Amino acid sequence: MKDDERLKNEKVERVLSPHPLSFMRYQALSIYLVIWGIVFGWIVNISEWSSFFIDTPIWSLLFWGIGLLLAGVIASLFTVRWIIFILYLAIFASGVGLVFLLNLHDSIGIFAPVYTLFMSIAGFVTVEVYRRSHRYIISNQRIVFKGGIITKNERTLRYDKITDINAKQGIIGQIFGFGTITPISQSGFGLGSEKSMAAGGIIIGSKKAKLFGAIGGGKEVQDPMARSYFELHGVYPYKKVKKLVEEMVQGNVITAYQKEQVTFQKEQVDIQKQMRDLLKIQSESKDDEEEEKEKEEKKT
Amino acid sequence: MEGSPIDIVVFAPLAPILGVLLFWFIQLLFIESEKILLSKIRPKHEPLCRFTNFLGILFQSVCHALGYTITKSGISDFYISVNYGRVAPKKEKKGIFEWIANAFLFIGPFFLPAFLLLVFLFFSPVNFEIITPSPLIELKYTFAGQIMTFGASLHAFAEGFFGFLFNIDLLHPGHFGFLLLLIFLGMGMRPSYIGEKKQEKVDMLYDLKNIWSLITHKPLYLIILFMAAYIFFYISLFFNGDWFVALFSILGWVSIISIVAIIIANILLFLIKTTDEIPGIWKFIPYLVMPVSYISARVLFFYVPLENTNFISLLLMASLTALVTFLLLKYKTNKLKSTRKIKMSKKKSKGEADEG
Repeated sequence: MKDDERLKNEKVERVLSPHPLSFMRYQALSIYLVIWGIVFGWIVNISEWSSFFIDTPIWSLLFWGIGLLLAGVIASLFTVRWIIFILYLAIFASGVGLVFLLNLHDSIGIFAPVYTLFMSIAGFVTVEVYRRSHRYIISNQRIVFKGGIITKNERTLRYDKITDINAKQGIIGQIFGFGTITPISQSGFGLGSEKSMAAGGIIIGSKKAKLFGAIGGGKEVQDPMARSYFELHGVYPYKKVKKLVEEMVQGNVITAYQKEQVTFQKEQVDIQKQMRDLLKIQSESKDDEEEEKEKEEKKT
Repeated sequence: MEGSPIDIVVFAPLAPILGVLLFWFIQLLFIESEKILLSKIRPKHEPLCRFTNFLGILFQSVCHALGYTITKSGISDFYISVNYGRVAPKKEKKGIFEWIANAFLFIGPFFLPAFLLLVFLFFSPVNFEIITPSPLIELKYTFAGQIMTFGASLHAFAEGFFGFLFNIDLLHPGHFGFLLLLIFLGMGMRPSYIGEKKQEKVDMLYDLKNIWSLITHKPLYLIILFMAAYIFFYISLFFNGDWFVALFSILGWVSIISIVAIIIANILLFLIKTTDEIPGIWKFIPYLVMPVSYISARVLFFYVPLENTNFISLLLMASLTALVTFLLLKYKTNKLKSTRKIKMSKKKSKGEADEG
């Protein structure tokens, strides 16, 4: 945190960034590309089925595409994020485009694995750049969240505005000691909703759609979630950071006892004020009496 | 029929059971050495130890869940973390069902994961045949006959399994995946947990105590189990089949897989422990030598075809890695130096410092 960004009496407790493995969800997409690139290369060039693919290169292109798209569909279904499928589709489409553009029909067995590996490296680099764009600053007054590659996002959260803290640690997080802490503000920032939908249909009849039925259902669940730049995403060491944040929140939240004390003090102040006023009135009336007495004495 | 009636009726069924027990104890001994290695590398490799703990807990929980499924208790709660696993049944069943579920928890992790690997091996592209004991040796229903049949079956399996392992093609995704699974199995196959606290449960006695309490808690069930084994033997005898030995042979095969997995995991852990002593970035050199030497050997043998290239490549990889580690230990640490040499090197470095 720069000095000009710092508030009056603000002391930075910790500056954090996500753990290198905390974006495994995205890195897994690249890992799959590496695996598929190697497996595809092996099947098409080395395995006992290689002759089949060498004779008909278009089959190898199709096989490569099926491997990518099938994984995309499965991953999208499991994570309810169709962006994964679109991403793999884009890789496949661009790969096919390059094959036709550069006339690489005869060397698909070499091009496709190399291209897949290249795309996976690009994926790893993108995720790493994105990870490095994150900065979380925990000070004695607030938490500042920063992140974003092109658009810079920033969130500032004062401890007294935090109503709830959600913390989660996956298996990789438990192994490597990192985790995600989502502070939820009074306005509900940090809460997200997840929608899932299932639908099915049936068509009977070969030429015409004689019967079509579809069933669908939707479910919306409110979950503590936020963008990685609006939460303490994959911070290390998780337990210490969690404790620090909780202590900071506790230090800034008025407890029931403290509330009672404040009310009591208010009452005390009110009583004192009343007494002061009474004393004032009394002293004024005394003064008036004395003045009257003086006047009377003068008259006499 | 050969053999005395007592031998056939009383001792013969014991032979394969004792054979399996022997292999299981060997397994326990190797697990013990692995636990000691893990507890030694723990300060520097906390995540690795947590990972192995997780694998161990995963195996235990899955086995426990399987126990509840088999006893039709159902599973109401299944929770796994790096430190703790919990499996709760839907219906609390007492008696033999509870005992079987607990047996799955305590004994299952030694056999069930390896059994899955065995299934993987049979269904993988690797040509593995299930060899029943009877074609290998003439079946005799005596103690000696049974133990010989058991041994022959294990020998036949071990021949095939080691043949596969020594010729494993690390550039074959299936083979490489199998090796990874084998390593994971070796690392996770230990029932007791190496905790974060100082009181580490690393002793074999802890595992054996659990199993012993299971046995002594309800000794009657163990007797029933033994009786079931004997009855199965008599049925095999009556129909002149080799099913009894075959059943225990499978447990023996599983034990062999487990032992090999633990030995490979031990070698890896030992490499980690040794390289930890090498200072700086030099410690990563053995890990680089491993893939580079293997791939170089494979490329070389691609152009210079020889027989058993897979085996030679593996041997080259292993010996080069060992050699490099040894040289690094010798020249980068004081590990393999005599006291005189250490003194000399200290003098030399002191002299250089004085001159400087």
